[in-house]
Amino acid sequence: MQIYLPIAELPVNVLVILAMGAAVGFLSGMFGVGGGFLMTPLLIFLGIPPAVAVGTQSTQVVASSVTGALAHWQRGSIDFKMGGVLLAGGVLGSLSGIFIFRLLTRLGQIDLAISLIYVVFLTIIGTLMMTESLRAMRAAARGTPLPASRGGQHSWMHGLPFKMRFRRSKLYISVIPPILVGYFVGMLSAIMGVGGGFIMVPAMIYLLRMPTSVVIGTSLFQIVFVTALTGVMHSVENQAVDMVLGLLLVIGGVVGAQYGVRAAMRLKGEHLRALLALIVLLMGLRLGWDLVTTPPDLFSISDLAPHS
Amino acid sequence: MRMGALHKWAIAAFLALGTAPALADQLVTDLSEHKIAIRSNFTGTQILLFGAVEANTPGERALDRDVIVVVTGPSRAMTVRRKARIAGIWVNHDSLVFPRVPSYYAVASTRPLEVTAGIDILKREQIGIDNVDLGTPKAQAMDGREEILPPDDEASFIKALIRNKKREKLFISDPGGVTFLGQTLFRATVDIPANVPVGLYTATVFLLRDGQVVDAIASPLYIDKSGLERFIYRLAHAQPLFYGLVAVLGAALAGWLASALLRER
Repeated sequence: MQIYLPIAELPVNVLVILAMGAAVGFLSGMFGVGGGFLMTPLLIFLGIPPAVAVGTQSTQVVASSVTGALAHWQRGSIDFKMGGVLLAGGVLGSLSGIFIFRLLTRLGQIDLAISLIYVVFLTIIGTLMMTESLRAMRAAARGTPLPASRGGQHSWMHGLPFKMRFRRSKLYISVIPPILVGYFVGMLSAIMGVGGGFIMVPAMIYLLRMPTSVVIGTSLFQIVFVTALTGVMHSVENQAVDMVLGLLLVIGGVVGAQYGVRAAMRLKGEHLRALLALIVLLMGLRLGWDLVTTPPDLFSISDLAPHS
Repeated sequence: MRMGALHKWAIAAFLALGTAPALADQLVTDLSEHKIAIRSNFTGTQILLFGAVEANTPGERALDRDVIVVVTGPSRAMTVRRKARIAGIWVNHDSLVFPRVPSYYAVASTRPLEVTAGIDILKREQIGIDNVDLGTPKAQAMDGREEILPPDDEASFIKALIRNKKREKLFISDPGGVTFLGQTLFRATVDIPANVPVGLYTATVFLLRDGQVVDAIASPLYIDKSGLERFIYRLAHAQPLFYGLVAVLGAALAGWLASALLRER
């Protein structure tokens, strides 16, 4: 069954899009990730223009992160003060990301930039997760629990000015690191169409040393508002948000996430992480392969960017 | 531009008529549709062009007679980019901007274009993909500075433009696509692909005899989004801020609905 997408200006198979939404939703329910970093490249593989893929994906991330953030709010596992600081950085980051996106589109390098950033992040994250989960699996096999590795204290962080007390996280730290983390994630959100949880969560645990109980809820809180801003900005700047595509992705995602959560209960944590790491690495390899192999046609055509 | 050329031709035809009125054959044509609506189920379509040649010289068998059908979409500037390998990675390098590229161009004829008329006539009437006037291209280096490309390089960009447009099925060339049914009636079908840009199109039918254009008729063809598709597209372009807010709030609502449903389980 084909449906014509009004903004992407091409017909797609409804079932394919729903299945993709469900598959990514399944993974996001299973691993507790947003799934934006899987969906955007998939949409681009399908032939959706990168700008439309990124812009539309941000609305899908809004939907899934609202669901997650509400659940954490009920459990009281959101540090709103920390979330606000991360959000302040995120807003600035998103705005600069949109600016960079526009600049790269005008220069004709946006496809390359999106692919490159994806390859770099998917490879780094995939490798880190893979080694970590393999180590955990080996430790579990030997029967010795892994010592909770907490590296050296970041003394440089404690010398920074503008300290603030975050009661919920039991922290008294400078606002500069969380603002920078928020900024960086906001920028990625605007360029890659992701929520950025996969960067923010490790940064909050290892860099800001927040208690794990509030990390996911707080990051989801920030993601809701930053991706909402990103979605609006992509609509205003590039007219690149396709409501029809977004609706299909949300429907598929909601259904898939249900089954993902259930499937996750039957698998061990380290196996889950190894599986996700494998998916992430394969995705990175596929994108990287396209960058280095000689393309079938060295020439490409495009309408002139609207802003040039 | 096309209408201008036709206009000039019409005057020439009128003058020719004055000298030898009895010899001029005339066209009568129509389109199966003058308006194509893109709805949610649009996956491309076909239009049928048909017509008749009214011969004013009934006794004479027209042997060297050709009908050419040209359908063009609105012109716009297009950028053609060439990739080059930098540090092992393929990067868009030089680019060439053509100011007027028809977003769609289909040509069908009774015989291959080369045998229907001389290149000067084909160029003047812009018949055939290679004979379309794309305007003076402007070349840009990777850093955005203007540069001048050697002519054969420029030719490879033009070839690439045509190749890519053909791959997108937006440039179509169908020699033999116009068929005569008997002596006077002819018909041609032209494919309109799903990715067709919206706008005002022109379908022109040329009648050629002995390599000369003896008549031409242009008819308009509107291609536009319709229904919900049109509403969403218009809203996104006319009220982008409102559109973005609606999209984001709608998504947030969907997320809230999902969580409300989950809690009930």
